[in-house]
Amino acid sequence: MDFSYTQEEEMFRKRLNEFLDKELTEEIARQNWEDLGVGPEAREFSRKLYENGFLGLPWPKEYGGQELSPTYDFILIDELGKRWGAHVPLDVGYTMTGHTILRRGSEEMKKEFLPKIIRGEIEFGLGYTEPNAGSDLASMMMKAEEKDDYYLINGQKTFNTESHYADYHWLAARTELDPDKPKHRGISLFIVDQRSPGITIRPLITMSGERTNEVFYDDVKVPKDRMVGEKNKGFYYMMEAIDSERNHVFVPARLWPIVNDMISYVKATEYNGKLLSDDPQIQSKLAQMIIDLEVAQVLADNARWLELNELPMTMEPEITKLVVSELEQRMVDDAMQILGLYGQLEEGSKWAPLRGRIEWYYLHSFLPTIGAGTSEVGRNVIAQRGLGLPRG
Amino acid sequence: MDFNFTDEQKMLRESARGFCEDKSPMSFVLEMEEDEKGYTPELWKGMAELGWMGLVIPEEYGGVGMSFMDLIVLLEEMGRVCLPGPFFSTVVLGGLTILEGGNESQKNEFLPKIANGDIILSFALAEPSSTQYDPSLIEVTATAEQDRFIIDGTKLFVSDANVADYIICAARTQGEPASKDGITLFFVDAKSPGIKCSLLKTVAGDKQCEVIFDKVVVSEENVLGEVNGGWFVIEKILQKAAVAKCAEMVGGGQKVLEMAVEYAKQRVQFGKLIGTFQAVQHHCANMAIALQGSKFITYKAGWMLSEGVPCAMQVSAAKAWTSEAYKKLVILGHQIFAGTGFMAEHEMPMYSRRARAAELAFGDANYYRKMVAQDIGLAPRS
Ligand SMILES: Cc1cc2nc3c(=O)[nH]c(=O)nc-3n(C[C@H](O)[C@H](O)[C@H](O)COP(=O)(O)OP(=O)(O)OC[C@H]3O[C@@H](n4cnc5c(N)ncnc54)[C@H](O)[C@@H]3O)c2cc1C
Repeated sequence: MDFSYTQEEEMFRKRLNEFLDKELTEEIARQNWEDLGVGPEAREFSRKLYENGFLGLPWPKEYGGQELSPTYDFILIDELGKRWGAHVPLDVGYTMTGHTILRRGSEEMKKEFLPKIIRGEIEFGLGYTEPNAGSDLASMMMKAEEKDDYYLINGQKTFNTESHYADYHWLAARTELDPDKPKHRGISLFIVDQRSPGITIRPLITMSGERTNEVFYDDVKVPKDRMVGEKNKGFYYMMEAIDSERNHVFVPARLWPIVNDMISYVKATEYNGKLLSDDPQIQSKLAQMIIDLEVAQVLADNARWLELNELPMTMEPEITKLVVSELEQRMVDDAMQILGLYGQLEEGSKWAPLRGRIEWYYLHSFLPTIGAGTSEVGRNVIAQRGLGLPRG
Repeated sequence: MDFNFTDEQKMLRESARGFCEDKSPMSFVLEMEEDEKGYTPELWKGMAELGWMGLVIPEEYGGVGMSFMDLIVLLEEMGRVCLPGPFFSTVVLGGLTILEGGNESQKNEFLPKIANGDIILSFALAEPSSTQYDPSLIEVTATAEQDRFIIDGTKLFVSDANVADYIICAARTQGEPASKDGITLFFVDAKSPGIKCSLLKTVAGDKQCEVIFDKVVVSEENVLGEVNGGWFVIEKILQKAAVAKCAEMVGGGQKVLEMAVEYAKQRVQFGKLIGTFQAVQHHCANMAIALQGSKFITYKAGWMLSEGVPCAMQVSAAKAWTSEAYKKLVILGHQIFAGTGFMAEHEMPMYSRRARAAELAFGDANYYRKMVAQDIGLAPRS
């Protein structure tokens, strides 16, 4: 085992941090983290990440990468996360669909999409969920009928978060319409130009102010070569891509800003003539956050290391995702308790502590245990896929 | 970054698993709980022949010269079967302390004997006044008198002192009871006049003792490390001991999870395997999460200690998380085995009793939360 970073990797981290000090602003970080819509500043930042040699290092040379260790991407994502929970601005492409295209796509598809993903130029929206297919994705109804040289797609998706600013829709649709065939062996995955005729996108606004979308397809024509991998295998590719999502979005580093803010707050705030940091209960809560983050970090490192070294994974991404999401909920609850009455004050309000960020995190903290697979479904997966327990 | 074990570590694990399962079935563990000594010389000799006692002792002192990380692998396998005996006391608390604090002649004299399995060691730290784990609260005194010291006072929770040839005793040579300065480590012959050792009855049936030092005379040659400088050594050893204890817990936790999953695949109720019930599946998933976190934080802290990288935070995280996780594992394990698992002759109690003992050894989660709070500057350093 080796938990260290090489000298070159540490140099990379240093250079990256110098760059981030200059280039990354809270606004850019929040455009992505809060799904407000990646604007021109964040796209510009994304291109600069590539131009300055921070994007794409582990990727194959033939698509514009440098074929270095995957650790470079871990460092990139961790260092971004420590700053306002930032991420690679076009993270769906870079951390979810890109890996799946690399593993499953045709050579033409890789040549077409990977260089642009690596250069930080294009983004995807994930098109899995439908009104009647949430946890049970195999029940999706969106229909893709095979025609001469295209598929004709009709139906509705919901909660497709990046669609309003993404360039492409990473769409799962039913290609086997025979109801007697197994449901999960009748789904295929497509890359659809998000601006194709026949697509309508309608906003849905979440309780923490993020935007997600409903996406309607009305006779949308998608060329056949935009099918990812083989026909009717899309369900399995989708599961792989969701594992990548668990490994690359549920990044413990993104929670450090909460802990760091809270540490400064308790060291600077008095109650009854005593600093909050002197209260043993508060000390214990903050210490537990750090203990949990240390454990989450090594779990996350293990899971993404397995994925990017193409080693078998059964339950590792689920474990990381569950630990990180439930940790976020506990952590935010503890932070709210420490802030007391002031915890309820929103960003922009008079008297709001820590610029109201904890209040926002509280609202947000209901999502991590739902998105990318609910905690309940995650535990089913660990029990069945990981531990081999029988299905009911 | 690399999460693979070396080939040597894989071989060590395999041979340790075979040996432990063969020599230490549950019947043997339970027998040793009742036994006065708590180990058998045959088993001890067998372990020595495999090179286990000398695993982390350098070759120049008659050992095998492997690393602390290798020891973690071995301890995990021992924890898996609850292997009884004074291995932890002799090797982790004894051998590593001599390596860390001993002078050349002490190393030359004692390390080869440890490696050969010729001597058993014990480490006397805790005292009656510290009801919570507080390793620097030391009131047992050692008074200098010409070229010797006189040790006086009572030590508690001293593992394996009942069978030890030597006891390493932390005593106060100067300063206030809670001060980290003024502690000295002594290498004491367990047969010295004035030592009285009696077994305590513990939840895990392990051999923890009360050791009374009544004007015990120790020559100044038997000081380990510097006079008044014992804390420097103790602090390092306790970090290793905490993570070594985590390794035992990881081994035990792994076994508990495997047993519970196995049972869930066999036991039928309401005409179905209980493993198909979602409540049972989620218990198993929660066990897997608790175990996976324990494993990797233990490996990380173990690796950092092995490489000599500063890692106070990781050690704290490992012992805090793993202590809580092992308790969670046994609670859920009991839930799945239900009535059967509550019977004394079932394997579950063997693990759940040890989960408690392991939690208490070298500091529980509360203790390490306090350590973390100090490390991030919230609480003054004690
Ligand atoms: C803000 C936001 C952004 C999102 N972004 C995207 C996106 O970009 N693309 C996309 O495709 N989707 C997206 N999603 C959808 C998300 O993945 C789903 O909400 C999630 O998978 C759960 O589906 P559901 O909401 O329909 O809940 P349901 O599946 O209806 O679940 C309801 C409850 O039943 C439980 N349950 C369901 N099945 C089981 C079972 N087998 N065992 C035990 N319990 C079960 C669930 O755990 C949950 O508690 C997003 C959702 C949100 C809220």
